[in-house]
Amino acid sequence: MAISFGSGAMTNSIGDIRESEVIMVIGSNADTSHPTIGLRIHQAVKNGAKLLVVDPRRTAFADEADIWLRSNPGSDVALLNGMARVIIEEELWDKDFVEKRTENFEELEIVTAKYTPEMVEKITGISEEQLRAAARLYASPGKRCAIFYGMGLAHHASGTDNVKSVANLAMLCGKMGVAGGGVNPLRGQNNVQGACDMGALFNTLPGYSGLENDDVFDRYEKMWQVTLPRRKGKAATEVWDAILEDEIHGLYVFGEDPVLADPNAHHAVKALEKLNFMIVQDIFLTETAKMADVVFPAACYAEKDGTFTCTERRVQRVRKAVNPPGEAKPDWQIFKEFSQRMGYAMNYSKPEDVFDEVTQLMPQYGGITYARIEKEGLQWPCPTADHPGTPILHVGKFTQGRGLFIPEEYTAPTEMPDGEYPMILTTIRETPQYNFGSMTRQTPEIENLCPEAFAEINPEDALRIGLVDLDRVEVTSRRGSVRLRVKVTDKSQPGTVAIPYHFAEVPVNNLTLNSLDRLSRSPQYKICSVKVEKVAA
Amino acid sequence: MTTVKLTIDGAEIVAESGLTILEVARRSDITIPTLCHVEGKASSDPCGVCVVEVAGQEELVYSCRTPAEQGMVITTTSDRIVAHRQKRLGVLAETHFGDCKAPCNLTCPGQINVQGYIAHVAKGQYEEALRLVMERNPLPFSVGRVCPRFCETRCRRILVDEPVSINHLKRFVADWCMSHEIQLDIPKEAHTGKRIAVIGGGPAGLTAAYYLTRKGHDVTIYEAASKLGGALRYGFLEFRIPRDVLDYEIDTILRLGISVKLNQRWGRDFTIQGLKDQGFSAVFLGTGVGVDIPLDVEGAFNPHVHKAGSYLRQVANGRNPDMGRRAAVIGGNNVAMEVARTLIRQGVDEVTVIYPRARIEMPAHQRNIREAVKEGAQFLLMASPVKISETGGEYSRLQLELVRMKLGEPDSRGNREPIPIEGTSNTIQVDSIVSSLGQIAVNDVFTGGELEESIQLSPRQTIQANPRSSQTNVDGVFAAGDAVSGPKSVIQAVVSARRAANNIDAYVMGADKEPAESRFNFSRGKAFDDVDLKNFDGVNVKLREKMPTRPPEICSQDFGEVKLGFTEKMARREAERCLSCGCSAFDRCDLKRLSIDNNVNINKTGMGTIPVYPTDASHAMIVVDRNKCVFCKRCELSCEYDALEVAAESLDDKGRPLGLTITFKDNCVSCGKCVDNCSTGALNKKAQIVPMQSEVITDVRSTCPYCGAGCQIILRVKGKTVMEVTADPHQAPNYGALCVKGRFGHEFIHSKERLTKPLIRKNNVLVEASWDEAYDYAARRLKDIKAMYGPDSIAGFSCARATNEENFLMQKFMRTSIGTNNIDHCARL
Repeated sequence: MAISFGSGAMTNSIGDIRESEVIMVIGSNADTSHPTIGLRIHQAVKNGAKLLVVDPRRTAFADEADIWLRSNPGSDVALLNGMARVIIEEELWDKDFVEKRTENFEELEIVTAKYTPEMVEKITGISEEQLRAAARLYASPGKRCAIFYGMGLAHHASGTDNVKSVANLAMLCGKMGVAGGGVNPLRGQNNVQGACDMGALFNTLPGYSGLENDDVFDRYEKMWQVTLPRRKGKAATEVWDAILEDEIHGLYVFGEDPVLADPNAHHAVKALEKLNFMIVQDIFLTETAKMADVVFPAACYAEKDGTFTCTERRVQRVRKAVNPPGEAKPDWQIFKEFSQRMGYAMNYSKPEDVFDEVTQLMPQYGGITYARIEKEGLQWPCPTADHPGTPILHVGKFTQGRGLFIPEEYTAPTEMPDGEYPMILTTIRETPQYNFGSMTRQTPEIENLCPEAFAEINPEDALRIGLVDLDRVEVTSRRGSVRLRVKVTDKSQPGTVAIPYHFAEVPVNNLTLNSLDRLSRSPQYKICSVKVEKVAA
Repeated sequence: MTTVKLTIDGAEIVAESGLTILEVARRSDITIPTLCHVEGKASSDPCGVCVVEVAGQEELVYSCRTPAEQGMVITTTSDRIVAHRQKRLGVLAETHFGDCKAPCNLTCPGQINVQGYIAHVAKGQYEEALRLVMERNPLPFSVGRVCPRFCETRCRRILVDEPVSINHLKRFVADWCMSHEIQLDIPKEAHTGKRIAVIGGGPAGLTAAYYLTRKGHDVTIYEAASKLGGALRYGFLEFRIPRDVLDYEIDTILRLGISVKLNQRWGRDFTIQGLKDQGFSAVFLGTGVGVDIPLDVEGAFNPHVHKAGSYLRQVANGRNPDMGRRAAVIGGNNVAMEVARTLIRQGVDEVTVIYPRARIEMPAHQRNIREAVKEGAQFLLMASPVKISETGGEYSRLQLELVRMKLGEPDSRGNREPIPIEGTSNTIQVDSIVSSLGQIAVNDVFTGGELEESIQLSPRQTIQANPRSSQTNVDGVFAAGDAVSGPKSVIQAVVSARRAANNIDAYVMGADKEPAESRFNFSRGKAFDDVDLKNFDGVNVKLREKMPTRPPEICSQDFGEVKLGFTEKMARREAERCLSCGCSAFDRCDLKRLSIDNNVNINKTGMGTIPVYPTDASHAMIVVDRNKCVFCKRCELSCEYDALEVAAESLDDKGRPLGLTITFKDNCVSCGKCVDNCSTGALNKKAQIVPMQSEVITDVRSTCPYCGAGCQIILRVKGKTVMEVTADPHQAPNYGALCVKGRFGHEFIHSKERLTKPLIRKNNVLVEASWDEAYDYAARRLKDIKAMYGPDSIAGFSCARATNEENFLMQKFMRTSIGTNNIDHCARL
């Protein structure tokens, strides 16, 4: 999205949902991953908005949708290109918008022309009739149409292609820069947006200034009084190979648990075992922390001050409510003190001092202060002290000037079902649980509500394998296997099995594939091929 | 936007047209009380509380559904309106069934939130339990060992099996915090600069000093003895209150910042006038009852005849008075039991307690009598001493002549005084006698100065102090505790001294006293007989945990503590026996608040007497008690998922529901918004079992730590614990909506599994280390790697759950301290 529009964040606001006349949800089950946003979408639909859902899984949105495209897993680019083709062919596109605000339309036309309804049906399983209906619904000229997508779109080897194709569609139909429209990625974790904004990325400094931008480097070096490295860094998902290839010897893991989280987790464990030295900084002794050489005990969100930036780019306060347990310290304080030992002084007496530095360095945050967000958060960009924040991006003009169409070709998922591993595994979330459960599983009532992982499998497959509800199965991929009970449900498409990833006792990422998106280096959590076998209870 | 102009309570208001009177009033910060109102919704069965008068209209109108119109003149309070509200609330009160506060809580002289601290124990929050006790009782260690336990006598669990061992739980949390070296960090108000002298370092003095210090005053305790504690140290010996426990308890209080002057006897070393001259704004007298009432029989002036108070003090001070092998204790009060048990521990072979009435009539607590009996004390009852003489022998030094007693004819009040039976003399031979006939504050008058001498005394030789204001007849001099009441339990001294501290605070600050807490209270039945047994349907018999106790034949050989205290497991099991009578919605109940505001007298209206509906705990997160439901339907109206239905088979003649059902539909997502909107305690969060009463609750606004939606939350904090999480309906982006995680998933904050110390791997095992060690070691290793392989041989993963500031510092650390762009986070995971 950053390449298409000049910014990779949610273009519109959560409050905007009620303005939408058409909502397209692709690869997001917001009811489980972003429940309060899911709620607003349901409410908008109840109030008359049309709903278009693209999801291999039968979600609550699918049940409610005016059109539900149950496409094959991993076929999104083909589907989106097919929709674009129909829209161009039926003259439903916004010619004025495309002409005035975008470039490279010709390329889009050429690439998408190949995606005839027949071809699309072959790849996606979606009929021409459905494809055309969906294209017409989204294009609805003159209407406010929003796209929401989640990790169901991004967690693929072709994740960025998917996202670019979504962006193409929105620009083609002129749905950008208007209330109730836009392209809206739903950020999985509370501060993914903030972590990206702050430059916790291998390829940019804070504020998305690329490593090639010398002016920006000069500014940072002056402010920080240090010569900064300009070599490209390694993405988190590339680190394991780098360790195994003797390129990386030391690792500082802050608040992550790659042993559970990383795709093909066995691979990560193997790398960690080889690693020379590892620091883990966390609130719990995670599986990764158990392998560390040094563990720094940290404060949790309720024990420190600071800010989070949520999926709608709103910078909001986090406030200290209680003390950290024992000798645990807020992370900012650990960085400050540890940096001192490493020979680089960081002089902050409180998180607000850090924030003030951020606002000096990052134009997007330039006008935000703790005082201004005392009552209600501000949405960046907010460049000056009197700027009211930006609820909708790209109004009148894209951040980078003109929007760029970047058409992509469909590529098949890295691993597809075959004779030995005939089914597709996709990882999912359950509403009550979160990530690897280190937080949610401490609340007994939540555990009661959602105590174990079930493999969700379609009745057809159940019949074929000879499974009934609550049977115990072993799910095996080329990389590993897990055992758990099954739930027979048509939420899962025939040929797919869905497993939530919250449960350490069912480490489903031992099965997943560490095949990465070539640009974002996102892993393909959503597709790998597996076999499902019944085992004794 | 078109507007209308109208007047509410005399104020001219211009409002957007199309709003209701209620909405206009709220936007103008005029409060109109309502029970059923949910913003933007209209109830099908309005509660009728929000009525107002509109000039020119005969009937009162519902402000929630009457549009505000041009020129309206509206009054929101008048006798007529209040009468209407009273009537409406009264109708609801008539059938509302439950306890606001639990009977234990109401019975405790200290009004301690008993159910609250038991619930904390059940949740494993021992530190918070102790802080809650210490809101009202700064002596939990001592009281937890010696309290007569008024609360347990009213525990409703008696109607099932046995009362909850409340006091043992109090002791458990205190002892647990001591053994775990917990810093309680008890909060203090801002410094006032006022100095207050506390005379006497016993239970009353310590209590007064504690509360006055918490109020921000500078307190100095003057104590005549060489150590603080008073009756706790000299009235109870080590086998009741171990010295290390007492010292810890006193130290906990002193750590607030209290000056102490020991070996300072009032009237000898200093006077009230002297204190006033030094600038003390007030003086508190908590001198207790230090004077024994003497034994008035022939021969009582004998070195082997002791007085209980001075005898116990000698033993407490480590002196070992020669009591011989046989001793008599004269008197039947609690002190006499302490004396008997102390004599046994001193090695006296035969201890005989002499009392003129039957055992059951002794003033001592029966529990104390039983302990003395178990340890071998003998009782010579219906007998009274007449004469003591010396035998002249080395053994059986004294001859004690007794007369048999019988109960006389009842007097006008029905009391039967014991009278001697003529000619029934009986003589026993002992080595020593201890008399325990009661204690008084002072023999004649206080001495040392004019003010001392002028202090008015009661006929019982205690200080005369106004029971409400705690004031003596001397200006600026207050008194409380046994010195005023005569010998009473420790908790009673605590209560009176706490009240005195509040009075002193108001006096020195020239402020009004804090208003007393309302006594408004719904009850399932005030007496046991009034409590319907249906209340206990489904409660299984589970007897109380047995306190681990050393056997009497062994514990009576030494001064070690007799009762050893609950283990953690026992405490948890015992806490789980609590029936949680009191309402967990105590702090948020609108029915109670509105009833108090409108002076509804529920003793006149009456209240529900039997549980019509069983409690329903079938929902994963929510417990439903329909007996408390007032049919306001706020839960249903506030549910954004349309997942909750409140229905009734029919309505009675006053519009109240019969055959009420509260149903969670299949599409309920357990977000809990309905609970936060319940106007009573009909809906409760399963995990929030601690009723919050007068404790300070701080609302901390923050951002939910779960998904990226950025929901704004409110953490409700008591002490050091997040009690529950709610949301503000007016705040973007979520406007009060939360998911099940956002409202309920915060217990991890206080998880026992949290990391509390840095760890370093040594011999392949992670061991605890100091921060310095951990930093130094980590820095050395990273520097070595950097030196050997270059900065790009180190990588960092940042955290998409941490704050912006921290992510910023992490990448800054990697780019500056290490010098690499190998920094990334888990956004893609």
